[in-house]
Amino acid sequence: MPIALIGICVFFALRESAFLGPRNLTQLFVEFSITGTLALGMFMILLSGQIDLSVGSGVGLIGGLAAVLVFHHGWPAPAAMLAAFAVALVLWTLMGGLIVVQRIPAFIITLGGLLIFKGLFWLVIRNSTVPVARGDADNLYSLLTTYYLPARAGHALALLVLAVLGVLAWRHRAARRAHGLPVPAAAVVTAIGLATAAGVLGLVEILNRFRGVPLSLVLLAATAGVVHFLTRHTPFGRYLYAIGGNEEAAALSGIPVNRVLVGAFVLMGVTVALTGFMTTAYSGASTTTVGDLMELDAIAACVIGGTALRGGRGSVGGVIFGALVMTALLNGMTLLAVAPETKFIARGVVLTLAVWLDVVFGTAKN
Amino acid sequence: MSSPLPPAVASRPSAILEARGLTKRFPGVVALRQVDFDLRPGEIHALCGENGAGKSTLIKLLAGIHPSGSYEGELRVDARAAAFRSVRDAEAAGIAVITQEFALVDALSVAENIFLGRLPRRGWRVDWLEMHRRAAALLADFGLAVDPEAPIHALGIGQKQLIEIVRAMDKQSRVLVLDEPTAALSDQEVGILLDHLRRLRAQGTACIYISHKLTEVLAIADRITVLRDGASVVTLARSAATIPGLIRHMVGREITEQFPRRPAPPAKPAPAEPLLAVRNLCVAPPASAGAFLRNLSFELRRGEVLGIGGLMGAGRTELLMHLFGAWGCRLSGDVVLQGRPYPHPSPRESIARGLVLASEDRRRYGLVLEQEIGFNLSLSSLRQFLRAPGRINQAAEHRRNQELFDSLQIKAPDQHARTSGLSGGNQQKVVLGKVLMIDPAVVLLDEPTRGIDVGAKQEVYALINRLTGEDRAVVLVSSELPELMGMSDRIIMLAEGARGGEFARPEFSPERLLAAAMHAAARAA
Repeated sequence: MPIALIGICVFFALRESAFLGPRNLTQLFVEFSITGTLALGMFMILLSGQIDLSVGSGVGLIGGLAAVLVFHHGWPAPAAMLAAFAVALVLWTLMGGLIVVQRIPAFIITLGGLLIFKGLFWLVIRNSTVPVARGDADNLYSLLTTYYLPARAGHALALLVLAVLGVLAWRHRAARRAHGLPVPAAAVVTAIGLATAAGVLGLVEILNRFRGVPLSLVLLAATAGVVHFLTRHTPFGRYLYAIGGNEEAAALSGIPVNRVLVGAFVLMGVTVALTGFMTTAYSGASTTTVGDLMELDAIAACVIGGTALRGGRGSVGGVIFGALVMTALLNGMTLLAVAPETKFIARGVVLTLAVWLDVVFGTAKN
Repeated sequence: MSSPLPPAVASRPSAILEARGLTKRFPGVVALRQVDFDLRPGEIHALCGENGAGKSTLIKLLAGIHPSGSYEGELRVDARAAAFRSVRDAEAAGIAVITQEFALVDALSVAENIFLGRLPRRGWRVDWLEMHRRAAALLADFGLAVDPEAPIHALGIGQKQLIEIVRAMDKQSRVLVLDEPTAALSDQEVGILLDHLRRLRAQGTACIYISHKLTEVLAIADRITVLRDGASVVTLARSAATIPGLIRHMVGREITEQFPRRPAPPAKPAPAEPLLAVRNLCVAPPASAGAFLRNLSFELRRGEVLGIGGLMGAGRTELLMHLFGAWGCRLSGDVVLQGRPYPHPSPRESIARGLVLASEDRRRYGLVLEQEIGFNLSLSSLRQFLRAPGRINQAAEHRRNQELFDSLQIKAPDQHARTSGLSGGNQQKVVLGKVLMIDPAVVLLDEPTRGIDVGAKQEVYALINRLTGEDRAVVLVSSELPELMGMSDRIIMLAEGARGGEFARPEFSPERLLAAAMHAAARAA
């Protein structure tokens, strides 16, 4: 799979040298932040063996709601976003509740959500284009995807992240050794650490040549950190894996299955709101097509990253990686001015291929 | 273990179906050893035996479910060697098997089910009129007042059973194999079924009839073959068979001292109140109004192993699952757990209150198979390792997992091995380890040694002794009488959801226990 990503990048870079240029990479990473954030929410849903088809429409609706509040009603951006965020929480709590209490399959409930949210979305924006800010003034909403960290802050943040990652890795290694578990050779760890550092600093360097590290990328990194912590270090995350792996056994193990599932949907709502704000801000305005098919990109990113559709398997790292593959593919095709029809086909082929490979290698492993 | 067939029942050449020296091995188990069996035209031949005696395996061979080549010995149909490679081959030879799980499609009509796979056609279309006409004729033949166009799910269990038989007869079956056909039928329905079987017998259809209900067997069978531990023990004519005699043949085996039950020392003053008290418990299955578990009462004290026995379908598993909070709807009765009433059980609350269950179906109810051993061990106990803010202290968790991994002697490279790759015995140890980590007061064990090897069984028995030695109490459900008798301080036999009898250790005998398990059936006669 990493080979596939490199292949995609090399292919596009050869066809269009601007692909790896600072300007395009910056754009690519903003798009990546948007897809990645939504995919992280979807990851927790898939992990528990559920699915959410409504997130694309939801992204449009929540973004549109905030835009209408700002542009038509003159609300300050933070208040508008907070209100829209609350709506997202309510909607996803309701969907999660319906799924666990009425035992209606998530596929059906969220398919209903897809249509309802789409209709609500168009009602809210009255089928028009609603900018995220009045006039040319920036606000918190519009800055989500147009603010870039100053070069120095970017470097500082990168160093801070690297330091934290280094400390965590070192502590993990020490803990494993304390328990007599095998640890990779020091040379290997050092090499991986140096490669990561070089990659991160190099990326910051390139991004700084354009405008700097995009704020949205920082948001994605923070979301990824939180989701990683939740899934790996809390009972909630364990329960997600257990429910996705064997729901009956999970229930008999005393896991509050319903509460955990509703929790996963509420967190999905949180990422939908975040993604809604970012993607609407990225378009500059809410229009009827915002969010179209994003649910499929999110699912594709998860599956490409090794998340099992029937639940119980996957990791944050994989999802981030899958989102990067999907974004690179879309961005590259846009850069090459590939016809939209071809883009659809290419996305479909990549998704199918990823699932097929997952099945082939997944069964081989078992 | 195989006993020679009495000479009186040597088969005649006229046998429609004959089995000679059938031996079927599964990994680690011999399910059938040198079984001889024959079926004559127009006879009803009953198969009796305890759970696990080999009845089901035998009919699976006859039905082609275990294909020829997967077993040793010979099957003959009409005195010619037969090699069934599939169910279709067996059906073509005229053998129809009707199991407890019906092969009926709920969404289809009665007529469609009867002709499933052989729908009458006109050209490329289904000939609905012809199908309904023929179905109506068949049903009338059977004296069944059922609308052929009615959906099958609208029928009662007894009627479904008869529809299966109608279907088998329409396939020109000459041998009908019925596996526990009356397990779910009312007395009246049983009467109707037996009448139909007698009528079919008069028309020359042969029937293999498997039932735990010995009175029923004596009422209908011409001959009776008893299986025990995979071997055919005896074949008797009905006139020579009695219920006590059959039970003796079914259990007749020596019980060796392989069950190291150490009863709790009685020295301590007996605590006043029991850990678990159940009074007049009546429970209905989900989505049903009638009670299945009826009027059960018992008490469980510290350091005690209470055995629960009974035949398949007697309600043992349901009782445990209900106490734990995972099955059924309580109609009446009280459960008191550690002195406090427990009216609305749920797995979560049970675990919190120290009542735990190790399910009989560990792959389905016990384990998250694709996860590591450690993941499964601590799954019910993560609260023990919580550290603010809501974070699992993975080092502490790992230590605790390792303790159990070591003390249970789970055979795997380390606690990070996937559970799916373990043997049955080691998977069972993981389930037990998970239960132990909860630090329970009452442990419900449902068939804890099913499908595991002898060594692992011994370790499970040792664990039971350890639990009671620590002043916990165990409820042990087992289909194996020797195990039940070897490990229990007291045994309650269930019969069709009700108490069939209760026995203290000095009173244990296989004959008594089995008679109590069949108690309800015997009384009905």
